[in-house]
Amino acid sequence: MKQHIIVNSQTIDVLAVMMLIATILHISTGRLTTCVWAYAIRSFILACASGIIAYLSGIYHIFITTGITLVIKVVIIPWFLFYIIKKVGIKKEVESFLSFTLSLLCSCGVILVAYYATEPIIQFESTLMKHCLPISIAITLVGFFTMITRKKAITQILGLLAMEDGLFFAALSTSYGMPLIVELGVFFDILVSVIIMGIYVYRIKETFESIDIGFLKELRE
Amino acid sequence: MLISIFLFIPLITAVACVLIKKHNVSKYISVAGSFALLLYNIYLGYTIYLNRSLTELNGFFYVDALSLLTAQIVSVVGFAAALYSIGYMDAELHAAEFPEKRLRWYYFLFHMFIFTMLAVCVANNLGIMWVAIEATTLSTTFLVGFYNKKPHQEAAWKYIIICTVGITLALFGVILTYHSSKNVVGEIGYALNWTDLLAVADRFEPHLMKLAFLFIIIGYGTKAGLAPMHTWLPDAHSQAPSPISALFSGVLLNCSLYGIIRFHVISSKCLGPNYSCTLLMAFGLTSVIVSIPFILVQRDYKRLFAFSSIEHIGFIALGLGFGGMYSIYGAELHTFNHAVAKSLLFFCGGNLFLKYKTREMESIKGIIRTMPVTGVILIIAVFAITGIPPFNIFVSEFIVLADAFSSGSAFVLIFTSLLIVFLVLIFVGYINNIFKMIFSEPAETVVQGEVSKFTIAAMCFLLIFVLIISFYVPPIMRVILSQISDIIRNA
Repeated sequence: MKQHIIVNSQTIDVLAVMMLIATILHISTGRLTTCVWAYAIRSFILACASGIIAYLSGIYHIFITTGITLVIKVVIIPWFLFYIIKKVGIKKEVESFLSFTLSLLCSCGVILVAYYATEPIIQFESTLMKHCLPISIAITLVGFFTMITRKKAITQILGLLAMEDGLFFAALSTSYGMPLIVELGVFFDILVSVIIMGIYVYRIKETFESIDIGFLKELRE
Repeated sequence: MLISIFLFIPLITAVACVLIKKHNVSKYISVAGSFALLLYNIYLGYTIYLNRSLTELNGFFYVDALSLLTAQIVSVVGFAAALYSIGYMDAELHAAEFPEKRLRWYYFLFHMFIFTMLAVCVANNLGIMWVAIEATTLSTTFLVGFYNKKPHQEAAWKYIIICTVGITLALFGVILTYHSSKNVVGEIGYALNWTDLLAVADRFEPHLMKLAFLFIIIGYGTKAGLAPMHTWLPDAHSQAPSPISALFSGVLLNCSLYGIIRFHVISSKCLGPNYSCTLLMAFGLTSVIVSIPFILVQRDYKRLFAFSSIEHIGFIALGLGFGGMYSIYGAELHTFNHAVAKSLLFFCGGNLFLKYKTREMESIKGIIRTMPVTGVILIIAVFAITGIPPFNIFVSEFIVLADAFSSGSAFVLIFTSLLIVFLVLIFVGYINNIFKMIFSEPAETVVQGEVSKFTIAAMCFLLIFVLIISFYVPPIMRVILSQISDIIRNA
């Protein structure tokens, strides 16, 4: 079993890099719908990686999480986000406090930081983790970065989802996922929080006539 | 069955409240449900008092003294808030602040909120505890934005985004803890149970555990309102309806702190207490310092109370960080004291809001003339919350500070001396702000008299706890608190 994992870790690595590329696509594109597509693609790659890990390790509960990932992250959440985008009728596309080139440069820096920060930990670890842990942390940090720099409420939701994907992948690659019941709870929470945030995007649009979070600054000292 | 029933009570109450369309009925069901919870909690407390701890469903649920205290705070403040809600929400409904059909969702979310907080307390699995803490955020977002106007929506958005990001970071902490235990528990550990992890915590991978605790304190600290991650707190506390603000300040912050404490215990066993204690002290002192300027210059009384919550959570973190037997005892007593006193203060604030329809302190005058009962309780609550003897917060602050001074470490001494100076400053800020509202000539136009008898009943209920602990800590509580002190110090 262990032998298989070491041989095939290259496949997992390739998938991990593809996930990172999808995240960077999300940073560099100006169209909101492309961002959601990038999210759906990344989730699909995540589901593939999770399926391969489940097959190779023989831990069958990972198949269940793979299935739920496919249903929730690849289908339901992107569909819901498209629905919200359509319903809110967003005219202006993604706006950022930083220019796109500068954000790309910053996310490169973030990836370097992720590799640098995990260096002391991964020397003790198995081969599977060598690239997966830094990449998953990079995805998490890039997600955090989009949350800070983007103006639209929906891009904040996407940043949050990127953070969560990164962590899910970290758990998967380091410890073959969390216990099943915990994974189920996490999925449930993510789904509900995206729905609640979506409802708020709609309500904010109704009252403020914009989903630019720059307008949200009434509450100050 | 004992613990499952405990979780079922608020769940059934929530469902009943949403199914019954007449709010005249559902509001009494809400109070009855939370009263049943209170009684049941006393019974559970007695069982813990006899057995020290209780597990259920193959260790899925676990209750010991630490979870019991937090659950007790949930049920005491929960009952008071349910009682207060009747008076407060009826008055707001009367003023047509929101449509009537929304009220049953209020009671539904109220009891779901209680349910999620109890789930935090009784979950043994650290992953499930994470799920429950995230669920507290989700169940309360609509309560923060209940009035659905501009500032409420802004506060709700800020609240859900900042807290979810924080808690996502905490998930990373949970994953790292799980991973660092992998070498000990085995390649495929199905359990993330706190009791199982604690038994083998001394053989964890220390690098990972250090990183894990850092993520946990930042993540759950966001929800607990530790500075500098506190920015959602004053907005959410000031925009939510007053009974919800009381639950936020008194209970929700303690639940997140409870999550930090569970990891603190594991991390102390793995790395020795110094690492996590230093972090707790640093975040605690920062929170106290950050809250001071805002308390001194505040013009909005609900925000004033909110910033004071940051200060008290900081104080509790400091007490836990000092790490002595009595300072932990005092810090845990302080969580209870702060919960009842701060909820009482928010209830007073709610009464003021119903009467004057403003949160500006300058436009409120002569409370003691217009609303004598609220005025007197407000004076007591302000004295209690600022730590004036003989009230309850003085007792717990004194225990923590005395233990810190007697510890003899120069580092702790500096922290404590600074802390005392800050506490005096906060007292000045409070008295300066609040007493102008209480003692001055009331405006002619204000109608005399209290708003609702339910709100007064809820306040008197909490006042009893404030006064009892001021003069006497009951023996059962003393036993529970020293058990907690043993748990946290791994004794």
